[in-house]
Order: sequence, then C-alpha cells, then structure tokens
Amino acid sequence: MAEAKGKAKAKETKEARETKETKAPAASPAAPQKARIGVFVCHCGTNIAGSIDVKGVVEYAKTLPDVAYAEDYQYVCSTPGQKIIEKAIKEKKLTGTVVAACSPRLHEPTFRRATAEGGLNPFRFEMANIREQNAWVHMHDKESATDKAKDAVRIAVAKAALLQDLTPKSVTVEKTALVVGAGIAGMQAALDLANAGIKTYLVEKLPTIGGRMSQLDKTFPTLDCSQCILTPKMVDVGRAPNINLMTYTEVDAVEGFIGNFDVTLRKKARGVLSTDEAEAKGIVGGGCNGCGDCEPVCPVIKPNPFEMGMKPRKAIYIYHPQVVPLLYTVDFDTCIKCGLCVTACGEKKAIDLEMKDELVKLKVGTVVLALGYDIFPVEKKREWGYQQFENVVTSLEFERLICASGPTGGHLIRPSDGQTPKRVAFVLCAGSRDNTGIGKPYCSRFCCMYSLKHAHQIIEKIPGVIPYIMYMDIRSFGKMYEEFYYRIQDEGAKFIRGRVANILEDKATKNLHVYAEDTMLNRPIDLEVDMVVLAAAVQPASDTDRTRKLFGVSCSQDGWLLEAHPKLNPCGTTTAGVFVAGVCQGPKDIPDTVAQAEGAASAASIPIHIGKVELEPYFAQCIEEKCAGCGMCVNLCPYSALSLVEKEGGKKVMQVTEAKCKGCGTCGGFCPGGAIWMQHFATPQVVAQIDAFLTGGAK
Amino acid sequence: MAEAKGHDYALFLGCIAPNRYPGCEASAIKCSRKLGINLHDMKGASCCPAPGAFGSIDLNVWYAMAARNVVIAEKMGMDIALECNGCYKSIYEVNEKLKHHDELRDMVNEVLKTVPDPTDPTKKGTMEFKGTIDVFHLVELYADPKICGPDKIRENVVRPLTGTRIGVHYGCHLIKPKKERHLGDTENPMWIEELVAALGAEPVQYRKKMQCCGAGGGVRGYDLVHALDITNEKLINLHEAKVDAVTESCPFCQLQFDRGQIEIKEKFGKMWGLPVLHFNELLGLAFGMSPAELALDMHAIPVDPFLKKIL
Amino acid sequence: MAKAKGYSDPKLEAKLQDRYYYREYSHPDFTKKVHDLARTVNHMCYQCGTCTGSCVSAPRSSYRIRLFMRRQVLGLEDEALTDPDLWLCTTCYSCTDRCPRDIAPTDVIMAMRNFAYQRGIVPVNFLKTVQLIYQSGHGVPNNDVNRAVRTKIGLPKDPPTTHAYPEFLPGIRQILDHWKVKEQADKIVAEAEKHG
Repeated sequence: MAEAKGKAKAKETKEARETKETKAPAASPAAPQKARIGVFVCHCGTNIAGSIDVKGVVEYAKTLPDVAYAEDYQYVCSTPGQKIIEKAIKEKKLTGTVVAACSPRLHEPTFRRATAEGGLNPFRFEMANIREQNAWVHMHDKESATDKAKDAVRIAVAKAALLQDLTPKSVTVEKTALVVGAGIAGMQAALDLANAGIKTYLVEKLPTIGGRMSQLDKTFPTLDCSQCILTPKMVDVGRAPNINLMTYTEVDAVEGFIGNFDVTLRKKARGVLSTDEAEAKGIVGGGCNGCGDCEPVCPVIKPNPFEMGMKPRKAIYIYHPQVVPLLYTVDFDTCIKCGLCVTACGEKKAIDLEMKDELVKLKVGTVVLALGYDIFPVEKKREWGYQQFENVVTSLEFERLICASGPTGGHLIRPSDGQTPKRVAFVLCAGSRDNTGIGKPYCSRFCCMYSLKHAHQIIEKIPGVIPYIMYMDIRSFGKMYEEFYYRIQDEGAKFIRGRVANILEDKATKNLHVYAEDTMLNRPIDLEVDMVVLAAAVQPASDTDRTRKLFGVSCSQDGWLLEAHPKLNPCGTTTAGVFVAGVCQGPKDIPDTVAQAEGAASAASIPIHIGKVELEPYFAQCIEEKCAGCGMCVNLCPYSALSLVEKEGGKKVMQVTEAKCKGCGTCGGFCPGGAIWMQHFATPQVVAQIDAFLTGGAK
Repeated sequence: MAEAKGHDYALFLGCIAPNRYPGCEASAIKCSRKLGINLHDMKGASCCPAPGAFGSIDLNVWYAMAARNVVIAEKMGMDIALECNGCYKSIYEVNEKLKHHDELRDMVNEVLKTVPDPTDPTKKGTMEFKGTIDVFHLVELYADPKICGPDKIRENVVRPLTGTRIGVHYGCHLIKPKKERHLGDTENPMWIEELVAALGAEPVQYRKKMQCCGAGGGVRGYDLVHALDITNEKLINLHEAKVDAVTESCPFCQLQFDRGQIEIKEKFGKMWGLPVLHFNELLGLAFGMSPAELALDMHAIPVDPFLKKIL
Repeated sequence: MAKAKGYSDPKLEAKLQDRYYYREYSHPDFTKKVHDLARTVNHMCYQCGTCTGSCVSAPRSSYRIRLFMRRQVLGLEDEALTDPDLWLCTTCYSCTDRCPRDIAPTDVIMAMRNFAYQRGIVPVNFLKTVQLIYQSGHGVPNNDVNRAVRTKIGLPKDPPTTHAYPEFLPGIRQILDHWKVKEQADKIVAEAEKHG
C-alpha cells in the first residue's frame, strides 16, 4: 500500500493532490500499520566504537518499542553495510530504518538509497548522529557518550515510527545559464557552457571583458604575453552565438531557485549605441564602430582605472585598444554633456547622452559567479610608505608600467623623476599573512610567482639592474614554478630572506631606504633602492558582497566566497544552482582559475542537460479542513512560497508553491490553528521525539 | 579614547621633570591654567615606576607600584595628566591593563590592601585599584580640540617662536605600540608638529624622526655608549635638517639628549651643542615665561642659541 | 646530548666543543612560562625578521630580537637568559608595533629579563634604581641644587610626592618588600661590589 501511495504521489498535478487522501489527517500520526523499525549502529572503525559501547547501544535498541530489529556493523556506509539494511527490510518486513552513525551531511543519501533498495520509500529513514555530535566530542567519557547515543537512537526510533512516504518534487530547469563576471574565469565558464550547447548570458560590470589578465604584461612561468593569449578567448566570447554578452551591466535582483532563477540585470547607461542598437532605432549604418573620433574632442580628463590611474582617459572612453566589445562608454558621473562628442561622431549618431539605465529580466537555470578581486589598500600599512613616497608602487601598477601597451610604453620609470631605476626592491607578503587586524591573515598565493616574473622582466629590459626580492618564503608551488624560481635566481635576482620592517624616503633623491633583516646573514639591513614594488595582498572585489547576497551565497571567514566543500566540492556553493569560479572563491593563479571555471561550467551544465532537478520534499502542506484562510502565514514566509487561494464554495485556504518552499517551518510553527503540516518534520513526529527523550529513558 | 571629565586633572610629576628640569613642572602648571586645564597636586605620588627598570626586574612589582599611583588619583576623583612618555607607559598602560584583566587587578589589590594608611600607619586596607579614572599626557590634551587644540594655543601665544626651526622627537612610549595606544599613526605622525607650528615655530622633518633616543629599557644605565650611539644618530640627522632645537614630550629623552651631548663629547669627541627643550618649556617661552622662570640654565647644553632667535 | 670530548688541552676542548642542537637543550615549559608572563602569543613567531629589521639596537651591536624569539620558541632557556645582549633592548616597541603575527617581542624580552633576575642575572644599574626608590620613592631623587632652583622659580622646594610627604614611603616599601626586591637588590649589588 505504501508503494501505491508513493506512485500516486508522483503525479504532480494539483487536482491529483486534492482528490487523494495523501496529506496526513490533523491530529493522529500517519502510518496506519504497526511500526517495525530496524536500527543499525555503526562502529565507523574506531571513530564511534572508540568512544561508545556500540554493542550496548544495539542491545538497548532492541528494548525500545517499535524496534523489530537491531544490528551493529563496522562501516554501515560500505556496500556490505548497505546490503545489511536492504536485507533486514525485506526479511524482517520493516516499515522504517534508523542508522546511528555519522552526520547526515555525509551519508543520508546513501542510507536513503539503501532503504529504497530494500523496498521502502526512501524518506522512511532517520539518522542519529552519534559521531560528530557524540563520539568525536566526548572521547574521554565513554559511559556518558554511550548513554547519549542511546538517547539519540531512542529519539530517532520515535520519529522513524511516524515517518511517511514522500516524493521529491521535480522542477524543470531553464536551459539557460548566467555567468557573472567576464574575466578569464567567467569567460572560460561561458565558453564551455556555450560550447556545450547552452545559451549563456555573460554579464560584466566594466565596459569591456578581460578582467585582470588584460592588465598583465606577461604570465608566469611561460612568460606568454598575457593579452596575446587572452584576446583569442575574448574574440571567441564576442563571436560565440550561444553567448549573449552584456557588458557595463550588473545584477540588480535575484528571485527564484535552482532551475528557475529570475534575474534582473541593470544595463547601465553607456551613452553609446552599438550597431545593432542603432539599427533597432532606425539609424541606418549607425552605431559605434570604435573609430575614436569622439575621444580627442572631449574636454573632461580623468584617471584611467585600467592603467591604475597612471594614464588619463576622457569622459567618453575605451580602456584600451583591444576592448571587447569595441564600443565607447560615457562616464555620466563626469560627463558635462557639452555634446562635442556627438558632433564628432557625426552621421553614425552613436552617442545618446540622454540614455538611461535599462532593467532586463532573465530566467536562467544555473549561475556561475566569477567576481574576481581587488588589490588590498596597502596604504593602510603605513610602514611601507605607499601613497606617501612617490617611488613606492604596487604590483598591479608595476604591471602597467612594464607593459608595452601601458602608460610608459613598457619602460619602467620612477614616478618621481622618470628615470630608469637600477635597484628595485620587491616587497613580498605586503599585507598578506598578517594577523594584526590591518592586513589579511591569508596568503595571497600568486604574489611570490609574479614577483619572480617581475624580477625577470626588469632584468630583461634594464641592463645592469638588480632586483632585490625581500621574502619570508618563496611559494613556487605549481607546475614548472620551482624551475622558474631556479631560472630567476640564475638570471641574477638577489633574494633576501627578511620581511620588510619599514621604508623611509630620502627627501633629496626620492630613493627609498628599505629596512629589514637578512635573517640568513643575521644582520639588519638598510637597502637603498630607486624604486619599491609592493606585492600587495588581494581581497574580494568591492561589489562581491552585494552580488553574493543577491544569490544567497555565503562568504568564508577570510571574506572570499564559500565553496560547498573545500576538498570535494570546490566549484559549488551551498545554494543549489549557483557555482563559483576564479579568485572570488580564493586567491589562485591563472591555471587554477581556468580549471575551476571549467569545473564550474561542467557542474552548472548538469542540471540544464538533465532538464529537471529534484527538490527534497520538506515542504509545508496546508491541512485545508483546518485552515481558516486568515492569510497571516503568507507574509511570514521568507521565500514568498505561500498564497491564499479560493476553493469551490468560496472558502479561502493557503496554498504552497512547493518549488519555492524550503521547509524552514516558520509558517508551521506560527499557524494558530495548527493547519500547516511540515512534511518530514511534522508536529506529531517532533512531539514524539521530545516525548521519547524526556519520558523514555535508559533501561 | 576616553573623554576627559572636565578640565581638572591630577598632575603626576614622575621623577626627572620635578627633580632635574623643574621648569617643565612650572610651565605645565602655569601654561595649562591659561588653557583652561587645572592641574592639582597628587600627594604622595612616587616614581611611576621607571618601566624599563622595574618591568625588567619584576612585572608584578611594576603593576603594583603604578597602580598605587593611580589609586591616589582615584581617591581624588580626578583623571591624571602627566608630561613624561615613560610615566605614560607605566601609569596609562597599567591603568588600562588592570581595568581589563581581572587576574592582574586581583593580584595587585591583594598587595595594595596591605599598604598602610599614610595618615595612620596602624590602618591598612585603604588602597584599592577600582579602575575609575583615565590617564592623559599633557601634550595629548593640548592637541585635543575638545580640551584645547592648536588654535587655542595659538590664541594664547604672546611670544611667537618665529624664525626657529624645531625638530620633533616623538619618543616611543607615548604612541607605541599602536594597538595599545590611541594617538594615531606611529610611522609618521604630525600632530606634535601642529602644536609646534601653533607656537609660531617651523617644525622641520628629519631622517628617521621616529627613532628611539636610546635611553629606555635600562640601556642608559647598562651600556651608556650604546645608548649614546643611538642618540648620536638622531643628532646627526637633526643636524642635517639644520634645526635650532629638538623638542620632546619626555624628560627621560630630554635627559638623554641634553646630558647625553656632554657624554657624547666625552666618549665620541663631538659636541653638537643642540638645545633640547621639552614641549612644555617651548610652550612656556611662547606664553611669555622667562628663561629664568623656566630654569633653562639647568640644561646641560646651553639653550642660548635658541633663545637669541626668539627673545 | 653533547658529550665532553675529554681532550687534555682545555683550549681545544673549548674550540672543538659539540655545537649541535639536541632536543635535551629545550626546556619544555620555557615557552609557556614566557607566554604567561609576557601575555602575548610568543609561540607563533614565524621568524620573518620584521622585529630585527625595526630594531634600533641591532645595527650597533650583536643583539638580535629575532634570535631571542627563536630561542624562546625552542625552549633554549639557558642560552636566552645568560646572553648579555638581553639587556640591550631599549623597549622602543617598534618591533611590537610591526610584528605581523601580532606578537609583542618587547614583552618577551621583559619576561625573559624577569626570569634572568630570578636566577640572579641582572645588571647592577637596575638594582640601584630599586634601592633609590626604596629609599626615597624616586628613581631619580631630588637634590639640593635642584631644590634651590625650584625655590627660585616659585615652586615648593620638594615636589608634592614622597619627597614632601615621606609618610607615604612605608606604603611603597610594603609593596617592594612583598616581592623582596630590595633584599635581592642589596644582595646582588653587594656581591657585585665585592667582585669589583
């Protein structure tokens, strides 16, 4: 009968639900037949058995009401362990199973499957955590731990006796993906999704894609020109038919759930029409073609953030000549609306100074967040003189200075006098590995490697230059990275093992005195150099916090986005359908970023390809006979999953949109009439657990 | 940072100011009054005790001795104002530590309650650290616009120190470690320069201005030439900046710079002859006190070259 | 553990002594002792050298605060407490201000000095200060030259400290006697004067 009920429940129509007696009646517990519960207590090797008398717990279980069978086993999660459960269900005609073992976060799915294999509905299974919440925290008190385990089993059995057959709800998955952020991580994820045949929206807050990699000169350890290896991907992204590229766009609002995200995007007013946009407006042959005629006539000059403020841009601008898409952007915060650019643009009529932000609504199935990073504001570490002394720069500023397309055409010069420096100090761990509360406690991972690269770059370009690398450690962890370290030392870089204490400036020459200790020589040093490059820490990009909250993604203690599991699920989050890629999840180099992006894309494509996703059936259900239609629960629901509907005969009752319901219990706990049944956590089940705990007792 | 309660303070004198450079004490009392800061005698105060000496020997004694001084002010119901960085370390830091760490406070109070009542030595148990007051350095009060501020100082100047170039020596214990102090940046602060500018002088930057004077931690007593070498480096850098005087907020630094120059001549053969003036002495001059009133002739290094520029 | 080599020439015995570090040289509770007195996370030092890089005494002596930190992490109590460089720290707190691990090396030095003093290792000048304070309440007491100057400039000849109110001295002595610092100081000073 349970199986028939289960099959009936699989039919998802509302009418089907209304006509069948599938909801539990109000006061009495559901299961009509006598409960026969099987209890399986796991040793987990010595993890549990080391602190708990497992056999004692089994003997105790046998004395409990409703228990028809009890057994212990070394590793219940193993194949033979699962078979024991299946066999017991069949042979002992069990109506429910209890496994006393680890946390359900690990093996609840395993044991549900085993229960199903045995012929029962998988939700007739209850787990008692006697490991993480017992054996592992009471390792020095076996007697009390065993008593506590007995309590846990008694409570679980009481609930298992009242569990019902439930069926997960399937929802269809929209065959579209959203990637937020178009640096190398976002670009790679979008390309993979697009190549897998999935329509992908790639959204980028800046006017161009490319991210941090565009700003780099060369990449370690191969010393490839960064833009050279990046632009093919940028072009691919721009041309891919399955990628809908939306630059200068941000996420404004997010509703919904996996498979059915309703995302509102804000297309910021660019002030410039693309050729398609112009055509749509009836301007034949119009739209921006990137000619740049507007730029020279614009009177407003501002620092170019792409060049770290070291080169100017106008109020109408592109960051650099290779931007994708090749469209100018008007910075309306500084534009004075003089209109000179409009005149210069002429017949193309590509500039619209009255353009406003546009909100675009999308429905997507899965999302990949690739939000990137910013440099830590290292001026907060006053001892290194950044923004106090002209010739102290950060690593990103150095990248622009050494890059041929940068503000100095690739010539490293001292900001104070334009001279070529001959002695350059690279300060590693600038703001990283810092427990003072000012810097970041973590290691920023790729700065050792890029500092080696920087040393190489100046040795290559400046004959006779000496790079001094001031370090605590050289973390050259990746493929060919140690060999790169060897090479840079061979090329003549000087390595001084000592963290820089402070830097002072010589007022006359603007040289820097770098104070540290050469810990290997056991001598304090006063190193006079022409220029200092701070390998500053990295931190999440400024709007990461806002964006992640829209998607319901947590951040970890260090501020980066929280992965579902650091080892076994590094691309997922605990929010179903949302994945992470790149530095936003934690500092990493380009190879790891691309690998994670591919991983995230693969994970994001699975629900889309399967076409549907199963939601756990922990939904609230309205017991219509008891519902007074007061509607007070509707506003309480944090997920907006409830509504009032009118039935035939005019009665108003509450209705649950199961796909939105997360089973949080707010409505169930509140309903003054007791008209809400929380599936799998129903009031009678919970009360039975409480009663079992308080009034049962070790026999 | 604690808000000062009104403008009455118990003046903690320490040792070197009253017993070697009494002009600092005279100026502190007189000039502060002009600025609305009234300083009251702390009867029975002692050495703070010298943090370098006592802290090195037995930290518990240091806590207890400092606490005893704080309790004198607690009984007066007044916050403490003082004019020595070294005393600031002892009095301010111990006050904060005992307020926030029960085990230290309890340990100290166990001993303080055995201290006899000075008026009736048969009575004990009259001393108990309660944590009811706050401790300030005078120079911090002068800089605080809520109490005084550079503008108020400027208004009260009758003899501007115009034409003088002054290097500021911040010393160490007033502002370091920044985690246990509240007076801002320790790498390149400028707030005492602001006060010096308010007196009409020109504050001048010099190399390594934040370097220690070398006297602290008992080093002046333990290895005098080591301490003097540190002082000498400061004097070299001050000389390079062509200053007419160096000013500080610590009589111990003052002693090291002042007496130290005599010792440097003896040991290293070089006489710098740079006038050394505590900020309160500068304040006194700018507020119209005479060199005699400030007992400037007590200085080992003649202050005349500086006085010639302002009198 | 290092063994004596038993060479007949004591000079050679000294020159060629076994300089290995052996585990036995580490006193197991030295690190914890320092932790409890210094009230800082002394065991977390990762030897970055920022402290010595900030140190005012390092460029003019063999004093290396980083080395003292290493010793206390490894429990090398004897080496640390008998090294005369222990007394060259001016307590300027620059190292503490900049330590990235949020340790206070200055306080570690002070704690080690306390332990050295407990072994009777302490320079005499510290003890002279103790004696002066015991006697007058001041580490730098008043003198007649200064009294005359004070009077001249309108201050009372003695400041309102224990100088003007000597009835507060018993209280101070009570505190100092509780920890027997005067007794110790007198003893060590007398010893030192005996040996010249």
